[in-house]
This record gives sequence, C-alpha cells and structure tokens, in this order.
Amino acid sequence: MTAPFEVSQTVSLGLAVVFGLFFGVSLERGGLGDPHKLTGVFYLRDFTVPKFMFTTIVVACIGLYLLSDLRLLDMDRVWIVPTFFWPQLVGGALFGVGYVISGYCPGTAVVGFASGRLDALVTIFGIGAGSLLFAILFPYLEGFYLSSDMGAATLPGLAGVNHWVVIVPIVAFAGGMFFAMEKYEKKESAR
Amino acid sequence: MQKKRFWSPYLAGAVLGATLLATFYSVGHGLGASGAITLVTAKGTFTIIPEFIGRLKYFAQYLTPVSPLINWNIFVLIGLFLGSLASALFTGNFKVLLDKTKTMRVSTRLITSLTGGILMGFAARLARGCSSGVALSGGAQLALAGWIFVIAMFAAGFIIAALLRRLWS
Repeated sequence: MTAPFEVSQTVSLGLAVVFGLFFGVSLERGGLGDPHKLTGVFYLRDFTVPKFMFTTIVVACIGLYLLSDLRLLDMDRVWIVPTFFWPQLVGGALFGVGYVISGYCPGTAVVGFASGRLDALVTIFGIGAGSLLFAILFPYLEGFYLSSDMGAATLPGLAGVNHWVVIVPIVAFAGGMFFAMEKYEKKESAR
Repeated sequence: MQKKRFWSPYLAGAVLGATLLATFYSVGHGLGASGAITLVTAKGTFTIIPEFIGRLKYFAQYLTPVSPLINWNIFVLIGLFLGSLASALFTGNFKVLLDKTKTMRVSTRLITSLTGGILMGFAARLARGCSSGVALSGGAQLALAGWIFVIAMFAAGFIIAALLRRLWS
C-alpha cells in the first residue's frame, strides 16, 4: 500500500489537529505571530518571512518528489492545488496589499491572536467579513473566478521536463537569496 | 534583552516543511488557514440571517460541505490556535496588547487591522486559498497556482510598502 492513505474520518480529523499543532508551534517559534517581523521584508529590515517560506517550500517539495520517485507515494492521488491564472494573479496581489496593511496573513493572524495580540483578532474578523463580501459579490465575480482554468497545472508538467529540472533551480535560487539576505543583515547590523 | 527569543527561521521553516510533507504523505493534500475562517463565517452568519446567507450561491459549498477538505481545515485551525497558544505561553512570549508602531494611533491600527483583513479575506476566496493553502502547499507541489500567488503577493507587497512607508517603520 502506498501513500496517501485512505483513513477513517476520525483518524483524518485527528491528524488535522496534530498537523495544526506543528503548524502553530513552527509559526510561533519562527516569530511569525509578530506583525513587525511579518512586514519586515517589505521594508528591507527583517527577512524572516522569505527565509521561513522558502525553507518550508523547499523541504516539503524535495520530500514530496523524492517519495514519489521512490514509489513510496502515488503522486496521482495527491490533490494538486488547481490553477486559475488571472484570479490567482489578481487575488495574490490583493492579498499582498492586505498583508502589508494588516501586518498578518490568515494563519499568522491566528498565531498573533493566540499570543495575545488584539489587533490580530480584528484582522481575523476582517478576513471573515472579506469572505462574506466575496460571497455577496459572487454573482458579479463568477465569470472572472472561473476564467483561465488550467486544472492541476504544475511547472514541470507545463515545461514538459522532469521535476528535478525545476526543483534544482528553485533550491539554488532560495540558497542564493538566503546568502544575500544574511550578508545584507550582517552589513546593516554593523552600521 | 534576550538574544535568542525565537528559533532560526530556517529551523522553524523546516519544521513546517516536514509537517506539510507529512500532510501530503498521509492525507494527500496540503494545509490551509483561510478556508476555515470562511467556513466559520458562513455558518455563523447563517444562524443569524439564514434567508440572506442561504441565498448566497458561493456559500452553499460551505453550508452543505461537498468537499471533506472544508471541514478538515477547521481541525487544522483548532490545532494551529492551540499549538501557537501553548508555544507562546511556555516560552513567555504571550502578552495581551494592541500591536502597532510607536507613532501609530490606536484608531488607525484598528482600521488597518480590519481593512487589511477584509482585503485578504476577499483575495483568498478569489485565489482559492491564502499563503498556506495556495502559496506554501501549491508552491511545494510545484503547482503553477502557488508560484503565481507568491510572485503576485510579494510584488504587490513591495509596491504598497513603498507607498505606505510609515505604516510599519
């Protein structure tokens, strides 16, 4: 039997709580409940967010494709995040604006609130209100929301290359970026 | 002042990367955060104004879940809250405050917290997820969706930060 597994609902929901606990501890211990740290990259004073995000992506990505290559995981049964090009480009940009203005993202707003920040609770209410607004405006947005449907498109799939041809440059880019950020931070702290 | 208040971002990021990998391996999909907040909103508002909310076509999938993924995310959210609460309490990092820059007024901070949240709530539904469900989970899968989102989010973030320099500095 290869992964992912067909588990009972109880097991699945129990796992969700366990993964959520690790999710919370890693974000909190990474300092990602703090809006000053979360916005730091955009003001070139704290690079915690890109360091954290790219490490997460690289670790999970290498692991996922390695398990698939070793036939320990059936990639065909993994639910790939579907691509809707324009809604995700516009959504990503609006999200970036909201992120800088509030100083949180949805996950880190929960972490911020759990560490005592009342402004993060306000942001959580805002996120709820924003989703309600989307649902109310949905009749006008539906056409755009469903446009540019590319299904389970992946970078190696689109380029028609082996996944490692994409992974190696991403790892190299992340490594180069980390190196540059460390150098920049050392230079800034010496000033 | 303590020198090492937090873990290295590389260590913390690697822990989340391993967690995300375990999620893919065991249940075959990634981790989300915004979807659970939308679900709570849909169910909560439905109990208050059922006629109005019940007519919203987009909320139908949340009120009578067709995808088991939607309920799954609520349990992730519970874990996320308890995990970060425990982490903040045990490390002495828990402190009730309204976090803002020194010069920002309380009323301004309440407005930025709320409007930023509204924008993100709207944007996450348009993009079918947020920085967890699309950027991290999709990015790690090499899904085009994840990389479009990451690039758009950072590009827009740098532009808005340049326009609003005093917001966080």
